[in-house]
Amino acid sequence: MKDYLALAPQYLAAHKKKTRLTILSIVISVALITGVFSMLDALLQFEKIQVIHDYGNYHIAVKDATDEEMQAISGRIDVKNTGRWKTLGEANINGMTCALGALDENFTENLNIEVIQGKYPTGQNEIMLEKWAAESIQLNVKVGDTVSIAVANGTRREFTVSGIYNDLGNMKAKGIPGVFLSMTDAELLPAKQNVYLIEFKSEADMIKARQQIQTSLNIPEDRIGRNDRLLAVIGQSDYKAAVGIYQIGGILFFIVLLAGVVMIYNTFNISVMERVRHFGLLRCIGASPVQIKKIVKREGLTITLKAIPFGVLLGMIITFVCCALLKFYNTSLFGDIQLFYISTIGIIAGIVIGFMTVFIASLLPAKKAAQVSPVNAVTGSNDIKVSKNKKQGLLTKMFPVEIALGVNNAIMKKKTLFWMSCSIAISIIMFMGFNVFVDFMHAGLKTNKPYTPDITLTSKQGISEELSARAAGIDGVKKVYGRMFGYVDATFDAARLSDAYKESMGGIETRADGLFIAPESSWLISYEENQLKWAKADLIAGELSEDKMNTQNGIIAVAGNIRNGITTETANLQPGDKVYLETSSGTKEFTVIGVLRTVPFADSKLNLTTFITTEKIFTELTGKSSYDALDIQLSGKNQEQTVAAIKGITDSSINFLDSRQKNAEIDQTFLTMAIFIYGFVAVIALISILNIISTMNTSVASKTKYLGVMQAVGMSRRQLNKMVLVEAITYGLTGCLAGCILGVILQKELIENLLTSFHIIWKLPVVQIVMILIFTIFITALSVISPLKRIKAKGISEVIGAL
Amino acid sequence: MLEILTTTNLSKTYGIGETKVEALKEVTFSVAKGEFVSIVGPSGSGKSTLLNMLGALDFPTSGNVFIDGRDIFTMNEEELSVFRRRNIGFIFQAYNLVPELNVEENITLPLLLDYKKPDQQYIDEIVDILGLADRKHHLPNQLSGGQQQRVAIGRALSARPAIILADEPTGNLDSKNSKDVINLLKLSVDRYNQTLIMITHNHNYASFADRVLNVEDGIVTELGGAVQ
Repeated sequence: MKDYLALAPQYLAAHKKKTRLTILSIVISVALITGVFSMLDALLQFEKIQVIHDYGNYHIAVKDATDEEMQAISGRIDVKNTGRWKTLGEANINGMTCALGALDENFTENLNIEVIQGKYPTGQNEIMLEKWAAESIQLNVKVGDTVSIAVANGTRREFTVSGIYNDLGNMKAKGIPGVFLSMTDAELLPAKQNVYLIEFKSEADMIKARQQIQTSLNIPEDRIGRNDRLLAVIGQSDYKAAVGIYQIGGILFFIVLLAGVVMIYNTFNISVMERVRHFGLLRCIGASPVQIKKIVKREGLTITLKAIPFGVLLGMIITFVCCALLKFYNTSLFGDIQLFYISTIGIIAGIVIGFMTVFIASLLPAKKAAQVSPVNAVTGSNDIKVSKNKKQGLLTKMFPVEIALGVNNAIMKKKTLFWMSCSIAISIIMFMGFNVFVDFMHAGLKTNKPYTPDITLTSKQGISEELSARAAGIDGVKKVYGRMFGYVDATFDAARLSDAYKESMGGIETRADGLFIAPESSWLISYEENQLKWAKADLIAGELSEDKMNTQNGIIAVAGNIRNGITTETANLQPGDKVYLETSSGTKEFTVIGVLRTVPFADSKLNLTTFITTEKIFTELTGKSSYDALDIQLSGKNQEQTVAAIKGITDSSINFLDSRQKNAEIDQTFLTMAIFIYGFVAVIALISILNIISTMNTSVASKTKYLGVMQAVGMSRRQLNKMVLVEAITYGLTGCLAGCILGVILQKELIENLLTSFHIIWKLPVVQIVMILIFTIFITALSVISPLKRIKAKGISEVIGAL
Repeated sequence: MLEILTTTNLSKTYGIGETKVEALKEVTFSVAKGEFVSIVGPSGSGKSTLLNMLGALDFPTSGNVFIDGRDIFTMNEEELSVFRRRNIGFIFQAYNLVPELNVEENITLPLLLDYKKPDQQYIDEIVDILGLADRKHHLPNQLSGGQQQRVAIGRALSARPAIILADEPTGNLDSKNSKDVINLLKLSVDRYNQTLIMITHNHNYASFADRVLNVEDGIVTELGGAVQ
């Protein structure tokens, strides 16, 4: 031993079990930080690829850009690629409705357009179509074939198919193929929309670049479009919702950091407290308080050096599991990401924070250790100061003594209780905080809900009950459910209309009784039993009762309204509001009984708002009784066969829409996010469990002698178990209580302040709280078993030390 | 005389082969009810090992201990802990009071563990004799060493055990407090007809006893006092 500081590693080596426990808890904390930060890093990488796949690789778009503007923008040093994209509206190709468009060839890759046969249309009278459409019965064309296209103004021209490109899930589901013309042809036609897409270089400051472009070229805000999701993922968004998510992320990661510090501090505190005698002894033989402090800090350093590599490794393994899952699920999309994704940010965060927290966490216990009086060593009393509450004879009178002792042990040492509870509470707060993301993910990202159909049949002539029944009878069909759509003139209290809507309509006329004169019709949809049941997931107020709708003139309002592809709010109806619908037999009064966040369909026309009613009322109001749309869900097996059978029962008046590719893509988008979000929650739950186990372990291990004395005085093993269990559960319960209260407040604040734009409403998470309570108590109880066993395996005399 | 404690051929060895240590060798002796026996001997002679065996805190390699006619090593752990709290009172050198419990609770702890209602009159009497009447609601860390050891004596007496085992009860105390403690022990033995076995280094205190046993290299011999 060269100098006194070598005592620290020697002490640790001599007390392997205790040291291992301390190291374990630091490993856990470091793994938590490394894991969460690496996962965040990986999430953004994966999410970027996903968003580019879903929304295209461009950052901003300029509407109707002039040649000068395009030249100025493409010449900028921070711009990587640009391209013109024109949508020319619907047209008719060999009798089939299609969507015409044109895109600069250099930008096709950015928008995930891939020519799989032939070549990209460049010359006059050349077109390119989607694969599914080229192969469909209506078209059945190959590269080189000639087709005739009638554009909106009625003129019909012959075109040559120069190429065939990959299926677009969205278009396939709508049954309208996307057809690309050459840019030269497109320029001769009137464009419905004409945007200039810009991809910046990845290192560019995109917010600033956009502002520069806008000011230097004098482009007003309404001509600028943003690829919000991509900008959000790469951290370049000033979009309100994205900023909300950033803030939540910031708060939660701060809590993760805090959790790391608290966990490490708690472990260190316990480990120093139990060694008062050891430090007293060192003081006895002449160690100064400063030296004691140094020894404790050195111990911290030694432990950290051992713990950090393991912690970092563990954190990386967790991330690796998430990445592996994603890669396994979608090899083609995520093929480029390494299997062992190594996140520098995560590793650095783990190491730096590991060192820092141990340093901070060892400061206070070091101070405490330095204050130990040498007398403690000689008298052998290692009692920790307890509060001078003399009246606590009460507990032993109320409960059996072992339970009273257990509670006493926990609540008398206020500081230990505080830190133990803190360490449990912060795990719970973390868990509850991250659960907000789960809510957000389910409500905010449009996902496939149980009602999502695989196949949809639509018809202008209507679909009869009889066809619906036949479809339901086909082998491999799981569910069939139809809908009727119609328009009604509706009016209600003008105050319920949103200001934005009033403005966009250029003012609304209001009658004397407060009702407005409807500038547009409202959309009316009929739901049957299944769809009403499924809609519950989107219910934000009131209830969905078929009975009330049929017998008490109830009606369901919808908050979201899609106008020109953008979700807006036109009206803010609440349960109890009166709605008046114009029918052929006069005005009818309805009462709003429920409000849905949104409906899974979009109207191609503009409407005032959407109402949902039952089939019975729908027929009464409109006189219509055949379905406009029939949704079919398939069971998993032999789908192609089933699809062929469904095609067999339909005739040419029925459109056959296949949503399976689109559904799969949406599932994929959701899954990319879900794996990480659930990954976070799982990691945090796991870490929390390990943390509770390790704290309880340490806490029991530190009471070895005390437990021995109790046995000598005549405490039986069963009583001993009960006492330790009660103590552990006391810690668990106080932790739970504090954690749940603070966690609920955090959830409420996060949701109400930052996620309002997603229509997520805060509810008391009763199920979560109950689960947390049960789990914590279960884990706490479980965690004292092994240390108790170890103590009991030793003889009592051995435990007390020399008698 | 009624024998409350008997040991027969009690042996304890630690380790095997070259590291084998025989802590106790074939110890056989008895103690009668109401006797005060002190055990003396140099450090490492096996005194504490012997006392641990008598209190069933440790198990012998061979041999038996009978307390009140029962072979204590045939009992299972559960029976033993009940037996311990009813029949054996411990007094440790380091007091080993429960820091969270007040004086009265510490004293009645063996009874509470037995789910018995303490005989308040008896407890008050002990508290009075031990001079702790005005400290009943104090916590151990508010007491001096001598007072703490007196609480420990009270704890050992409260269940009226068959025997009281004391391991250097004065080891941490100054001479005045030591004398008090020894006097109190002697007093309670006489007053409640208790049996006391006490390890001590101090030959003066040993002389308070009815008998003195000497332990040397694991062998127990009688040093004098009353004849067996």
